[in-house]
Amino acid sequence: GAMAPGKKITARIKRTLPVKGPQAPTLSELMRWYCLNTNTHGCRRIVVSRGRLRRFIWILLTLSAVGLILWQCAELLMNYYSASVSVTVQFQKLPFPAVTICNINPYKYSSMKDYLSELDKETKKALETFYGFSEGKSKVRRSVDERNSTGSDFFKQIPLLKFEDFSKTATDLRSGQKRKIEGSVFHKDSSIVNSGDSNDIIGFQLCDANNSSECALYTFSSGVNAIQEWYKLHYMNIMAQIPLETKEKLSYSADDLLLTCFFDGLSCDKRHFTRFHHPLHGNCYTFNSGENGTILSTSTGGSEYGLQVVLYIDEADYNPFLVTSTGAKIIVHDQNEYPFIEDIGTEIETAAATSIGMHFTRSRKLSKPYSDCTETGADIPVENLYNKSYSLQICLHSCFQKAMVDSCGCAQYAQPLPAGAEYCNYKKNPNWMYCYYRLHEKFVKEQLGCQQICKDACSFKEWALTTSIAQWPSTVSEDWMLRVLSWDKGQKINKKLNKTDLANLMVFYKDLNERFISENPANTLVILLSNFGGQLGLWMSCSVVCVIEIVEVFFIDSLSIVMRRQWQKAKKWWNDRKRDQSGKPPEACDLERQGHDNPVCIDEDLPTFNTALRLPLPQDNPLPRTPPPNYSTLRLETAFTEQLPDTLEVEQH
Amino acid sequence: EGLIEFYDSFKDMFEFFCKNTTIHGTIRLVCSDSNRMKTAFWTLLLLASFGMLYWQFALMFSQYWAYPVVLTMSMHSEPKMFPAITICNLDPYRFELVSEHLVQLDRMAEESITFLYGVNTSASLFHMNEKNIRIKDLSSVGNLSTSSFKLSQNFSLLRVFEHNNGSGRMHSSVGFRLCNATGGNCFYKTYSSGMDAILEWYRFHYMNIMSQLPVIINISDHEEQIEDMVYSCQYDGEPCRPSDYVHFHHPVFGSCYTFNSKGTDSFWTATKPGIPYGLSLILRAEQKDHIPLLSTVAGVKVMIHNHNQTPFLEHEGFDIRPGIATTIGIQQDEVNRLGGNYGKCTTNGNDVNVKLLYNNSYTLQACLHSCFQHIMVRKCGCGYYYYPLPPGAEYCDYNKQPAWGHCFYQLYNRLRNHHLNCFDQCPKPCR
Repeated sequence: GAMAPGKKITARIKRTLPVKGPQAPTLSELMRWYCLNTNTHGCRRIVVSRGRLRRFIWILLTLSAVGLILWQCAELLMNYYSASVSVTVQFQKLPFPAVTICNINPYKYSSMKDYLSELDKETKKALETFYGFSEGKSKVRRSVDERNSTGSDFFKQIPLLKFEDFSKTATDLRSGQKRKIEGSVFHKDSSIVNSGDSNDIIGFQLCDANNSSECALYTFSSGVNAIQEWYKLHYMNIMAQIPLETKEKLSYSADDLLLTCFFDGLSCDKRHFTRFHHPLHGNCYTFNSGENGTILSTSTGGSEYGLQVVLYIDEADYNPFLVTSTGAKIIVHDQNEYPFIEDIGTEIETAAATSIGMHFTRSRKLSKPYSDCTETGADIPVENLYNKSYSLQICLHSCFQKAMVDSCGCAQYAQPLPAGAEYCNYKKNPNWMYCYYRLHEKFVKEQLGCQQICKDACSFKEWALTTSIAQWPSTVSEDWMLRVLSWDKGQKINKKLNKTDLANLMVFYKDLNERFISENPANTLVILLSNFGGQLGLWMSCSVVCVIEIVEVFFIDSLSIVMRRQWQKAKKWWNDRKRDQSGKPPEACDLERQGHDNPVCIDEDLPTFNTALRLPLPQDNPLPRTPPPNYSTLRLETAFTEQLPDTLEVEQH
Repeated sequence: EGLIEFYDSFKDMFEFFCKNTTIHGTIRLVCSDSNRMKTAFWTLLLLASFGMLYWQFALMFSQYWAYPVVLTMSMHSEPKMFPAITICNLDPYRFELVSEHLVQLDRMAEESITFLYGVNTSASLFHMNEKNIRIKDLSSVGNLSTSSFKLSQNFSLLRVFEHNNGSGRMHSSVGFRLCNATGGNCFYKTYSSGMDAILEWYRFHYMNIMSQLPVIINISDHEEQIEDMVYSCQYDGEPCRPSDYVHFHHPVFGSCYTFNSKGTDSFWTATKPGIPYGLSLILRAEQKDHIPLLSTVAGVKVMIHNHNQTPFLEHEGFDIRPGIATTIGIQQDEVNRLGGNYGKCTTNGNDVNVKLLYNNSYTLQACLHSCFQHIMVRKCGCGYYYYPLPPGAEYCDYNKQPAWGHCFYQLYNRLRNHHLNCFDQCPKPCR
């Protein structure tokens, strides 16, 4: 019949582009077909594996591989986005660091009179005796007599000695007696500077109180250093006996130190400062310590927006033996960081305007295994004696203090007290000075193990400082400024301030750029695995699945075959022996118990790799022998010979 | 099918392996071909591949366990152009046009100080007033705008007492009062230290006085010469030439000179590092015009900056004290920002909304100042004296805009607290 042209075309299309049904009649068959033909290898192993255990293991492996892929991809994505996020933050205000300011002189000399008068008198006398200044000879002699009458024990405790040509004798400078010197000689100063003139060598001797033959000798090439060190030793002894509250009163108050304060264009006062008592520097004041919970920040860079203070440095009230320079010490640090003024403080001058410009750098190191640093210090077996976050400095000081308490029985004055210990003074611990010097010697030589235990902190903040100084006050503005400041200082001081009693300090951000230096691992796990993948693909065109496959076939299965064969040989040998004994003829081959094509039955030689590969493959296998890669052009359809009835194309007309 | 099935023989195993392995390619050839020669060849190839694989694996493992890190940094040591150097003598002029008002202001300051800090005699508080070194007779210059300007008495310095609720103690601070145009909404600009208060108060009046000056001052009319400040100038062992510097006047830092401001002259190529090959100057930091209440320091302000960049000395300048030799070593860090999606930055400032008032290359500071000045002119009706003027505007003067101080300090406070959107409008330069 005549077909409608539309129908003709449809029939033609059906003929030229036949639609065949799904690849398999049932869902499980479809899955099976997919697994056999797909390029994801794990899937195929599930289907072809023999034995339920093997199949189960392959299912498990495949699923975990899928999980791993998801995880790794998520990691890669996160890496990508985190790298771009870290630079988008631009105009945040930068938090201003804490600024700790100390007067170089720790305590007001006038109020320390009660404690130090005896020591100072002795020191003055010693100076007169040694160098003969200001007074004549007769007076010196009288002062020596006076010393004998007062019965002071400063020099009995630690006599100052003068050495002659390193012979084993020295002159006690106070009494003029000659002494025999025992013990090892330590040079505090380098003697290179002054080596030609050995007459000038002055020092002191520290002996073990229990065993007076154990002595250490400290020599200094300059008398100034010897006397200062000697003074310091006694001074620390005296200060160790004074309770903290008294010491705080003896030192400077905030009103004493700070004359004016100006921050970020606004006026500020002593309420913005927190007192902090430093054992060697007395009362220090920390601006922006964050103690009340808020950390100030600056809106823009520049000296106008930083901290500007005028400090009152009362030079007349300085301790003449303890400090020999005038001014203040400042340190810029993080709110959580302990200010180690004595180690890394910057000194500022009087009668000058010191501007300190800052650049902020934040660094972050990778902890183990990339480098040997610690995140919080919790993994370091040294108790943190400071109430602040971990730093290498804190660890070293704490470690030394602990060793000091352990071996000397008391704590060193310059560092905080561990629980249950007290500061050394020679009334209670007559032996401490010798002990301390010995211990310090060991510490410096890295024999205490502190340097080995303590590690760097992984993240730290650093403010790079640029200091510049201008003359201040300028000659023309001096007059009015000193008058106004004197009035501000209050009615307590009726005299007009002197410009050498004042120091102007400005601390500011030069720009609000935060430099962040961080380490990134060059080889992450993801990169490692990607490299593996690349190598496997390049050389073997395979994946982790096929590595496992190789292990399965060539190690586990081969081993099991060898084992089984050995077992059968042993069994055969056993049976033969039994048969020999019973007289029954041996059977040629036990076909039923062994594989249908066991080469053992065919010939006695073990198959080599090559012979095994040359073996013909069974012909009755319905599966494709070697599934080619699943390119669409190579799709094999022989796997399913039967076709679903509803998909059969029947020409009905 | 049992729980676990093993192969009975090697043949069985290899057959299964060859049939089902997922290694593509080579193994097929090993498995399928019956040609011994071919099989042997492909087997060798396969084994070689295996060998390569394990060798590479070992390399990768050893690299991985070493845990290396990456830090990108590059160093360049090719000859560079010497940077631009700006020096100022911290000695602002007393311009002749306004010198009479400055004398009046000094006298007013003197009175205020006497009023606040006791009646001590202050005959010689301001040496300059008596000496009158550089102020010429005003009659010879002629009365310019002097008649129209009067120092306002409305902003006198006061001592303010406030009760501190916490301690119950009295705190006294010094400051001056600012009100809006109708005299309402007053607030005190106070400082706990009298010194800061006096300086700010003086600066406020100074800006009003200076607003009378014409916008373009012909510097050459002023007898200020480079010889007065720079006694000796040498670069790379050769004397500097007169064409090597640009002169400008800074209202606080006085007379300023920028050396090598364009950075195009080959004379300023930095050939060698070291002190003898740099710029060496002997400067004079004399304070002949000095305005004692404007700046309290003496010395020289120095800033090292890029070519074609307006130096903002108050931000990045540093001081040099008279009487000492100062050696400054420099080192250049170049920061390149990626821009685009990685963070906002501008390559040349053309895409920034703010019209720059400085005709130099774009910097963040220049943009912020311009942005503030535009807002100031819009809100307060006049320009802040320390920043350049947009076209058509004039500097603030309390004789014309009596409430500008009130407006300005509030606006400035908002800028500082990031309430003005200047910080959003001004991106950082990309390089």
